[in-house]
Amino acid sequence: MIPIGSSPSQPMMAVTPATRVLAIETSCDETAAAVVEGGRWVVSSVVATQFERHERFGGVVPEIASRAHLELINDVVADALRDANLRLRDIGVIAATQGPGLAGALLVGVSAAKALALATSRPYHGVHHHEAHLYAAMLADPTLEPPFVTLIVSGGHTLLVAMDDHGRYRVLGRTVDDAAGEAYDKVARLLGLGYPGGPILDQLAGTGNPEAIRFTRPMLDPREPDNLDFSFSGLKTAVVLHRRKHPDQPIADVAAAFQDCVVDVLTTKLLRAARRERLGTIVLGGGVAANSALRARVVAEAERASLRCVVPDRSLCTDNAAMVGAAAWHRLRFEPPTGLAGGAVPNLALPGTT
Amino acid sequence: MLLLGIDTATRRVGVAIGNERGLLAAIELGGPASVGPPRHAEQLAPAIEFACQQADVSLAEITAVAVGVGPGMFTGLRVGVTTAKAMGLALGVPLVAIASLDLVAYPLRHADAGLIVPTIDARRREIYYALYRPVPGGVQRISEYLIGTPDELAADLSARGEDAVLCGDGVLRFRDEFIDHDCCQLAGPGHSTPDLTALIELAAARVARGQTEEAAAVVPMYLRQSDAELAKPGS
Ligand SMILES: [Zn+2]
Repeated sequence: MIPIGSSPSQPMMAVTPATRVLAIETSCDETAAAVVEGGRWVVSSVVATQFERHERFGGVVPEIASRAHLELINDVVADALRDANLRLRDIGVIAATQGPGLAGALLVGVSAAKALALATSRPYHGVHHHEAHLYAAMLADPTLEPPFVTLIVSGGHTLLVAMDDHGRYRVLGRTVDDAAGEAYDKVARLLGLGYPGGPILDQLAGTGNPEAIRFTRPMLDPREPDNLDFSFSGLKTAVVLHRRKHPDQPIADVAAAFQDCVVDVLTTKLLRAARRERLGTIVLGGGVAANSALRARVVAEAERASLRCVVPDRSLCTDNAAMVGAAAWHRLRFEPPTGLAGGAVPNLALPGTT
Repeated sequence: MLLLGIDTATRRVGVAIGNERGLLAAIELGGPASVGPPRHAEQLAPAIEFACQQADVSLAEITAVAVGVGPGMFTGLRVGVTTAKAMGLALGVPLVAIASLDLVAYPLRHADAGLIVPTIDARRREIYYALYRPVPGGVQRISEYLIGTPDELAADLSARGEDAVLCGDGVLRFRDEFIDHDCCQLAGPGHSTPDLTALIELAAARVARGQTEEAAAVVPMYLRQSDAELAKPGS
């Protein structure tokens, strides 16, 4: 029942399938809390989006995000407990995202979690945000076990990670400049689509002709068949130049062609990674994984290549606290909890990576 | 009544436990002599735990959480105010929100001066401050909570021409701006941070008068908008 790690000097947490984790996520602009049982079952999950507070700035403003987290945190935690029909004393572990993310935003979640842990004499555990995204798929499909390869794409990250086992990861590729979601936001702004760019552009692209323009696929040079990194800043420039040259082309076509290019690159690299690493399962995560074109394309390509494919529900792809609770539970099987001296680490490296 | 007090408006982490009769325990970490980045997030929860152990108090016995809400260092306030709010939620107790400048001024209520001027370093060569008068049993604030340059405060004090005692870490930082000022006395490092005895004393009085707040509603006193809002005012 209790797979215990091998470090004799530090006390382990006896997590069991009955252990409930109350988790908090405040790394960017969503204030979220959730209760997860046994690392796999979401009992409740509450996300308060701050979208309206950032809208007029066309992007997330760190100071505004930090202040909003502080205003929302108590209500979000209380709602998560109420939705779960639980009291704090029914919780076994308190967890929070400790990094990477916006420094001031992370501080709110970490401080709240530690205070709750201290007040209830429960252990506190700090979770890596990307590791949390990896665990979202296991909440979507409780039968999923490593190894698999995950593509995490959002406004802040574009990462290809091989999860060899719980707590053992290899970063196979990452963006060398903009994150995919960042490219979406910038191109959406360029086309005058408003904020947040991703969903609006996604919708518009559905009405355009993706073959009207063919943007060069960045980092898909046939001379580098093993390259798993990404680059999206050049594509943004290509869109600018195209608009200048062909101002009369319908923006729906530009959006469709841009989206087609991004989806093509992301999907190709995800399948390339699975092939290279001989992994039979591919997984999507991160806010851009809510994009309908990307979801459809990944599912289709996986079927063609006879790969198992897990595309979590949109609510598990975007930032949420349930994935944080799942990651905490799994890590506590072989690691002692972080403890009350843990801080926020804005540039935290993914643990267990080689 | 049993109060947990927290103030993190300066680089110092302050934790106190006490009641209407005074302190049971007080811990200060990262005071005016400390160097390096402040460590509010790392130090606050362990400090609360230690204070409880040494005072032989269980958090479950706390009846209200008193918190210094600034103005002050944003990162410190996020840690301190969030911790107080979450404590309030977990323990099912209300908060007492007190301006951190009040806590710098209060210990000087017996000072022989017309004005007491607490200051807190606001970075970017500015300070938070307010003007107080000593009155029987305490101090009375006679200005808004303000943010300004040391020069602006010095000019204001010159115009008033009253004897003033200046205190707080803003004065430590900008000593040179005030040292030659005729009507200013500068308090020493002992008056550089929000006072924990004052926090418990003032909070106990408010609890006795029923002046508490719901934890979810408490926010820091920032006095300064984000850069983005300053660049793009509206709404
Ligand atoms: Zn994320």
